[in-house]
Amino acid sequence: MVLEGPFVDPGLVSDCVHCGFCLPTCPTYVLWGEEMDSPRGRIQLMRQRLEGEPLTPSAAGHFDACLGCMACVTACPSGVRYDTLIEQTRVAVEREHPRPLPERALRGLVFGLFPHPRRLALVKRPLGLYQRLGSPLLSRLPGRLAALAALAPPVRRSVPLPALVPALGPRRAVVGMLTGCVQREFFPSVNAATARVLAAEGCDVVIPPSQGCCGALSVHSGRHAEAADFARGIVDTFASAGIDALVVNAAGCGSSLKSLGELLADDPAYAPRAAALAARVTDFSELLADLGPAAPRHPLPLTVAYHDACHLAHAQGVRSQPRTLLRGIPGLDLREIPDAEICCGSAGVYNILNPAPAADLAALKARNVLFTGADWLVTANPGCLMQITAGLRTTGATIRTAHTAQVLDASIRGVRLNPDPA
Amino acid sequence: MTVDALAARLRGFLLPEQVLTDRQQLRTYECDGLTHYRVVPAVVVLPRTAQECADTVRACVDAGVPFVARGSGTGLSGGALPHADGALIVTSQLRAIREVAPQDERAVVEPGVINLQVSRAASPHGYYYAPDPSSQQICSIGGNVAENSGGAHCLKYGFTTNHVTGVEIVTPDGDLVRLGGRAPDAPGYDLLGAFVGSEGTLGIATEVTVRLVRLPETVRTLLAAFPGTDQAGAATSAIIAAGVVPAAIEMMDALAIEAAEAAVHCGYPGGAGAVLIVELDGPRAEVDAQFAAVEAFCREHGAFEIRIAADDAERALFWKGRKSAFAAVGRISPDYIVQDGVIPRTALPQVLTRIGELARDHGVRVANVFHAGDGNLHPLVLFDETVPGQAERAEAVSGAILDICVEHGGSITGEHGVGVDKAKHLPSMYSADDLDTMQLVRCAFDPHGLSNPGKIFPTPRLCGEVPGRRKGTHPQHQPGIAEVF
Amino acid sequence: MIAGASPAPAARIAGVPAAAVASPASTAEVADVVRGAAGDDLALVVRGGGTRQDWALPPQRLDLILETSNLCGLVEHAAGDLVAVVRAGTPLRQVQEALRPAGQQLALDEPLPGATVGGTVAVNASGPRRMLYGTVRDLLIGVTVVRADGVVAKAGGKVVKNVAGYDLGKLVAGSYGTLGVITECAFRLHPLPAARRFVSVRVDGPDDAARVLAAVLGAQVVPSALEVDTDPLTVTALVEGVPEGVAQRAADLEKLLGDGASTAETPPPGWGTYPWRPGDIGIKLTSALSRVPYLLTAVGVTAQLHDVRLHVRGSAGTGVLYAGLPGDTDPGSVVGVVSDLRAATRAGAGHCVVLTSPPAVRSRVDVWGHVDGLDLMRRVKEQFDPLCILAPGRFVGGI
Repeated sequence: MVLEGPFVDPGLVSDCVHCGFCLPTCPTYVLWGEEMDSPRGRIQLMRQRLEGEPLTPSAAGHFDACLGCMACVTACPSGVRYDTLIEQTRVAVEREHPRPLPERALRGLVFGLFPHPRRLALVKRPLGLYQRLGSPLLSRLPGRLAALAALAPPVRRSVPLPALVPALGPRRAVVGMLTGCVQREFFPSVNAATARVLAAEGCDVVIPPSQGCCGALSVHSGRHAEAADFARGIVDTFASAGIDALVVNAAGCGSSLKSLGELLADDPAYAPRAAALAARVTDFSELLADLGPAAPRHPLPLTVAYHDACHLAHAQGVRSQPRTLLRGIPGLDLREIPDAEICCGSAGVYNILNPAPAADLAALKARNVLFTGADWLVTANPGCLMQITAGLRTTGATIRTAHTAQVLDASIRGVRLNPDPA
Repeated sequence: MTVDALAARLRGFLLPEQVLTDRQQLRTYECDGLTHYRVVPAVVVLPRTAQECADTVRACVDAGVPFVARGSGTGLSGGALPHADGALIVTSQLRAIREVAPQDERAVVEPGVINLQVSRAASPHGYYYAPDPSSQQICSIGGNVAENSGGAHCLKYGFTTNHVTGVEIVTPDGDLVRLGGRAPDAPGYDLLGAFVGSEGTLGIATEVTVRLVRLPETVRTLLAAFPGTDQAGAATSAIIAAGVVPAAIEMMDALAIEAAEAAVHCGYPGGAGAVLIVELDGPRAEVDAQFAAVEAFCREHGAFEIRIAADDAERALFWKGRKSAFAAVGRISPDYIVQDGVIPRTALPQVLTRIGELARDHGVRVANVFHAGDGNLHPLVLFDETVPGQAERAEAVSGAILDICVEHGGSITGEHGVGVDKAKHLPSMYSADDLDTMQLVRCAFDPHGLSNPGKIFPTPRLCGEVPGRRKGTHPQHQPGIAEVF
Repeated sequence: MIAGASPAPAARIAGVPAAAVASPASTAEVADVVRGAAGDDLALVVRGGGTRQDWALPPQRLDLILETSNLCGLVEHAAGDLVAVVRAGTPLRQVQEALRPAGQQLALDEPLPGATVGGTVAVNASGPRRMLYGTVRDLLIGVTVVRADGVVAKAGGKVVKNVAGYDLGKLVAGSYGTLGVITECAFRLHPLPAARRFVSVRVDGPDDAARVLAAVLGAQVVPSALEVDTDPLTVTALVEGVPEGVAQRAADLEKLLGDGASTAETPPPGWGTYPWRPGDIGIKLTSALSRVPYLLTAVGVTAQLHDVRLHVRGSAGTGVLYAGLPGDTDPGSVVGVVSDLRAATRAGAGHCVVLTSPPAVRSRVDVWGHVDGLDLMRRVKEQFDPLCILAPGRFVGGI
């Protein structure tokens, strides 16, 4: 175990004035009511490490329990960069904290699978088999793998998208589109809807078929080197594609791609191109809000609860744009979810690594979603969709779910909105 | 008994995760919202029921171990600063809202319930919980009771003590006792009144019954920008003198505005030397008539821009700047002291001048945020710990501000409490006899001085045996005569 | 004999004779008197306006009456700060007269004319407008008391907002003179309203009253008082404020109260007074707000059952009612009435306290009823008055 530099940036730690405004927005504090599982408490633990205390398994556990939802960053009046702090901490924990073998095995499995669309495609078949055979088999899977399988939506075949979808009507922009890993394999209809809406709104949509993972899952888990490798692939794919913007429809990917510059800052061969590309990364809803509607909307008489994905609302500050887009659809009744700032527990691969708290948070979120009385749950992240759907399932309630892009797509095309498989 | 033995006894009736002794975990509890006092507690206990809380206190009493209660840990006077050889009893897991009873204008909550959650639970019924400390999104009702917390809207609606009608407490003996309740005017001494604001020195609240107030028919808020604090102060005086009782009048000076802008981009008018937020609420006909007068008073006293909140969103933005002000100062200064003093409102101009002079003389900056309506000042003394001598100078300025408050007939604390921070200043307000008399209450509740020792009073009173006469039974209370229930 | 006290063979408190009466003229003189009494183990009772000397229980022993009539007048009126400091013996009416020119008031009602500030604080007296302004405990911001050992102590101050030290003002408010002698009080003041209207309606019974009360509480008229009177059954709401606002709110109230509602600029008969005369039996009934109509029903049933005349009046908007029984009511019946009313108030989480009653009744009922936290109260009394010389035996649990 080698110490390379300080645990985290001491200056960032000292920014915290201990006011506690972050506590009510922190999912683990909401669940457990313990200081050391709050952002304020975790910063205190970081401070202890800086002061020379050892990184104990208990402290590592409190860092691991953080979902990285960044709600505390939004809530902090002092502007503490908890997002940076926890990312630095995760890297240091990976470096300093030897994990027990089963833990390492699971992490290896997760990071060997999710960031790889082709491998994900391969497991779809056995997963589909599991799902068809029903729960008896599922229940025999070891705990955290069962959590993984329980979350997965019903498997459907993905339809490959063309490498270029031309704009309908006058061209207003040329955009690249990230197809993602989970999104591409489990929610192919979201990508198709995204491409159609972009085209309908006057965008030439460039979709390189060779694109890989953006590295978001690795970034959020402290696997820095792995993340950087993925990031270089993205730069190679998109930096010289001649696009005005790189459109992302998955919140976690978007937030990570926006910091591509920082991720590759130490790599002179990539740094300038990474920074330039990062500046062009935009969420699907951000781009459309900027462009303004061109295609006419058809009425959709739906009651919709919109869920803020943490990596969209807290990490990217994108809150009003998706709401504006949804409100722009005639007949659509938009409802706000109580305690909207609390994470649903999905948080990248958190729900696989920490299934118990994740399930508690999903149940909490499901209750609040049902409170709105809405028929549809709309959000912009595949992880949230799977997580909240799983949470709703445990309450026995059902609600139809869709991505913002699918709602817009149905409205623009004037067709019925089909629920995502859930 | 050692703390180890105490912890072992506690683990006998609590779950392992409710009794913390891991040093790193303990250290996350070493301070509350006031970070320059830090003490690591010997053990942290997280009770989940009132009985567990009572049993914990009883175990402490048996072991002779002092205990300190803590809610959300947002206090600004170190009231929840742990005792190095003591237990810290944290109420953050006692957080059920037991009942919302709009028909009784009451809610019954556990002490760890967050202030704002009470209003959220009551609002579907058309009610809210009026006291609104700036930290209302996280501070706990139990902590509010301990500190008698105020807030911007206390000018019209009163403080925590005016809104708590009953508590269940664990006495420093470990007994559960009810004081007050759902109905007003419980017979006997108003021990509830004495308990609220006693900063954890008379026991721990385990259930609180609060008043709910009808949500007003209308709320109108204006933001007025003035060239300086003198003009804003004069406008405040004029409003009050005219017989208007606003829901709130809040003032921020230029430096405080700068900090708030940096933190939350509240968009206050540029170039303002002071802003006033004035809010009126109540029946529409009443508010409309008075709002025009308030606007006129602001203009008359030099307001160069007046904005009237068009909707809840704009109103929230006006308040966001004010409510984030303390923490926001972190954006313009590496270190700062939040002060809390009270003066008679009419002394505002003189006191601000004095504070300005003090700051200049000591070479530190002071940002001012006040509840102008009731003369509660929150000077924020800015400094940089890395500059030698600056911390000491800031401390000196901060203390001198309190002296100025007392000189003007005011108080050393309007809402943050005395805690550990201001115990040394209490004698500037009260004589030894006054303090001795207050401590008679302490001796009645906590003769052994185990409940949050070292807070409020600079010198603890020894509670010896009282040379009392043993009273005979009152003739009316002899068995068979009095009707006994 | 202690300095400043003169023998007064005829002086009595609730029928108990005292040997002497002292009328000190300053806090320091009060301290001298009390110190002297403590030294000689003399029991003393404070007398202000003498309006409630027959309340609660008679003193268990009595040597000295400490009159506050010479502790009179305003010490300070800081109009710009809406604060006044008043000597304890000042009649409440005199305080109001002194404040009126500044357009201000001490927002305490005066159910018994002639009451002093100190007496009002000591018994925590309140009237209809407690609904808006609260009671003594909400308005008292500072207090000076002389302890049983003659030590002068202050708590609170002259500013409305203050959390420094314990709030002893709360403790002495309603303590019936058993913890110390109050010599000075600082109060927060309120502006005098420019206009006020009383809107009344006769109702048909407790159910009808319940409907009217719920309508007013649920509306947005913000009454300063919401009173009920059972003789005849009437609900009256008071609104105060600016003329335009008050006119509109009174009109809204008339609609809410329904047919037969009428508006007046002056209070209805009996407003803000207790529903009993000297020598009668006076009872205080408290309950959770929603149980007020139930209490009214219980009062009716109780009166019928025991065949007595029970007149109830009070703040239906806060759950504090007063019941009066003629002084010549058979003491046995009174015991039954108190027992039934106590059960009714308990059902509403409230209390039933016999405030005043003739000796024949007092000797047969438990005037205070059940008191939560009595053990702690005894401990407080022991700390403040270990020799038990201040109004011994007048208060709860024989304190």
